[in-house]
Amino acid sequence: MKEGGRWLDALSGLPLRLLPTLPYSRPESASGNLWTAEAEDLSASAEAGGPLAFSGVNFRLRKGGRAALTGPNGSGKSTLLRVLAGLLPPAGGAVRALGRTPSTGRPQIAFLAQRPAFTTPFPITLRRLVATGTYAQHGWFEECSHRSGTVERALAMLGLSDLAERQVQSLSGGQLQRALLARAAVQGAELLLLDEPYAALDDASRELVDAHLFAPDAKFSVLMSTHGIGGLSRFDQVLEMSGGGLRERAGGAPHA
Amino acid sequence: MLEFLTQPLSEDFFLRALVALTLGGAACACLGVYVILRRMAFVSMALTHSILPGITGAVLLGISPYLGALAAALLTAAGAAWLASRKEVSEDTAIGVMLSVMLAAGVALMQQAHAWRDYGGLLFGSVVSVGPEDLAAVGATSTLILLALRVLHKELELASFDEEYARLLGARPALLRTVLLALVALGAVACVRLLGALLTTALLVLPAATGVLLGRSLAGAMGWAVACAVSGGAAGLLLSYHFEGVPSGAGIVLGCSLPYLLARLFARVR
Repeated sequence: MKEGGRWLDALSGLPLRLLPTLPYSRPESASGNLWTAEAEDLSASAEAGGPLAFSGVNFRLRKGGRAALTGPNGSGKSTLLRVLAGLLPPAGGAVRALGRTPSTGRPQIAFLAQRPAFTTPFPITLRRLVATGTYAQHGWFEECSHRSGTVERALAMLGLSDLAERQVQSLSGGQLQRALLARAAVQGAELLLLDEPYAALDDASRELVDAHLFAPDAKFSVLMSTHGIGGLSRFDQVLEMSGGGLRERAGGAPHA
Repeated sequence: MLEFLTQPLSEDFFLRALVALTLGGAACACLGVYVILRRMAFVSMALTHSILPGITGAVLLGISPYLGALAAALLTAAGAAWLASRKEVSEDTAIGVMLSVMLAAGVALMQQAHAWRDYGGLLFGSVVSVGPEDLAAVGATSTLILLALRVLHKELELASFDEEYARLLGARPALLRTVLLALVALGAVACVRLLGALLTTALLVLPAATGVLLGRSLAGAMGWAVACAVSGGAAGLLLSYHFEGVPSGAGIVLGCSLPYLLARLFARVR
């Protein structure tokens, strides 16, 4: 039973064709906003109602840019990324991502947690994991093709084609990180919020991830938290968090 | 030798039990895969056990036992969710509390209804009690469960595997969890005639646990689980038909445990 799902896939049309397709969330039109993300006097806590992780935070991220978020452990980097992803409500101030107040149900924004909280064990192949990125385009009551061109292209782009039939729980940290970036590509995200994307990577994975995130023709913007002090020259903007605040550091390469 | 098979198949009650087992077993096996993967075995046990006060209460009130069973299971789910809505109360504790209360209420109601004489069927199920109208109820609930699982397949899969991503896409994992609990309550009701309030949980757990060991995809695991429930359950029914010492409910459960044991021993590591 190599591909156990096929007999079910073959039946997929029967009850589903009768149902209307409903999107998970209302589609939004592309905004003409110059800033991909902006915050004004923003404060937030890691848990709703808990102590503030940061306050008085101001920044603007340029569209199509690569921005780094640096700072020691516990300085609020993950909290800021979660606020922008719509997973945490801000405690005060104003914040916008792609021109709108952050909320869930926005496939234009992809968020990769430092460690994905997958249920294990779970019988799922890498290909199917990447294909979950297409779900937002399908919406409720519609099965999607897990062998569509978008999925195969994303797998190839991140060097995962040979691993596509592997079980997710057998992947290494680097392979998993690439799989999640492939899913974000399939999803069509315009803003990638990445929490320590290089933390679990070996050299081979690092190169593939670099090539993807810093590709000159990439159409997305990136904000990533990172520990590494070296390599910051690749970023257009560097935001440094410490002592419950944030300041933009001078330097960083101007975007071509 | 062939008579071993043909003799029970010529009896109406055995055929009815077999059909009920196939329908209810298939629904519970598929549903059970989510129960196993999401670690909901304890809550499924609480839901199935709370059928006991549901049925006895329905008998006292003179309403359909299926309605009573379903209402009691839903009450348990809602009660546990409400108890666990405070931060200090873990979900485990909430389920444990509801399970104890409902079982005790069941015992008290049994006393009221003087139902001790057929407690065997109530607690452990009985094949001879599956009538044509029971078959209709099992068929309707099983079809509903399988349809719901089919229609929401990709959403339930994603919400079970990667809840945060489901939330990010807007696929409402909290709502899906409620739907799943309601389906488990329906599944328990579908199998209660065959396996009784105490053993129904086995059909949600054993075949699915086997499927999860063998399947490489969610649908594959469900396929294996259905195969295990139907074949193991049928073998158990045959066993109890030929050996008076084995009650039917126990036979079905023991029949389903054999494939699990084999899978646990011989399934290759994924």
